[in-house]
Amino acid sequence: MIHLFEAVQLLAKSKVEFVIIGGVALRSHGSAYLTQDLDICYSRSRVNLERIVQALQPLKPRPRGFPDDLPFIWDSSTLQNGTNFTFKTTLCDLDLLGEVPGVGTYEDALRNSIMIDFDGYPVRVLSIEALIIAKETAGRQKDIPGLNELYALRDSLSDEE
Amino acid sequence: MRSIREKLLLNPPPGSRIAAARDYGIDLTLLVENLRLTPAQRIKNNDAAVNDLLKFEEAMSRAKRSPVK
Repeated sequence: MIHLFEAVQLLAKSKVEFVIIGGVALRSHGSAYLTQDLDICYSRSRVNLERIVQALQPLKPRPRGFPDDLPFIWDSSTLQNGTNFTFKTTLCDLDLLGEVPGVGTYEDALRNSIMIDFDGYPVRVLSIEALIIAKETAGRQKDIPGLNELYALRDSLSDEE
Repeated sequence: MRSIREKLLLNPPPGSRIAAARDYGIDLTLLVENLRLTPAQRIKNNDAAVNDLLKFEEAMSRAKRSPVK
């Protein structure tokens, strides 16, 4: 079972500084794309790393593909020593990205995001335009259907505004 | 009453990116349906749909392991 909505709310409730990117961002903008994981671009500030550690601790995060019998230490030093992480948690798979290709760091992602209400929790989501740039930069075949949806969503919006 | 956005998605102008997306194979009616929901509802629906698919996948693999005679 996955609980992406709950994971987003938990991060927001814990005051983690993040911008939703990837499939959940697509879906938030109206895409029909189904996704199993939550991708976020996060602030690398020391305070924020501590907030991430505290927020995710109860979800027992472990790197995906990491052998179950090997110990893994979940603390801010672990996050400090890397930039991009792919974790499995009890709520969902969760990818933490320090940078988004074509967009930049958390600060750049923040500038290119919109605020969306998640049932009482304001959450930043990468804008349609920035998602298009990120996906075009990644140049992956698997993103082409999503890109076509984003073009349609963007162009239907720009004509309305 | 339909919004301008819905009208554009349901009847895209020829030559537009919206028409190109439809021709690529995107079901624009699904976008229209999603846009009628709140962003929160869109994610909740995603969770429900993925979980249904996961249950289906699990049932399929159980059936393969022990087929009903």
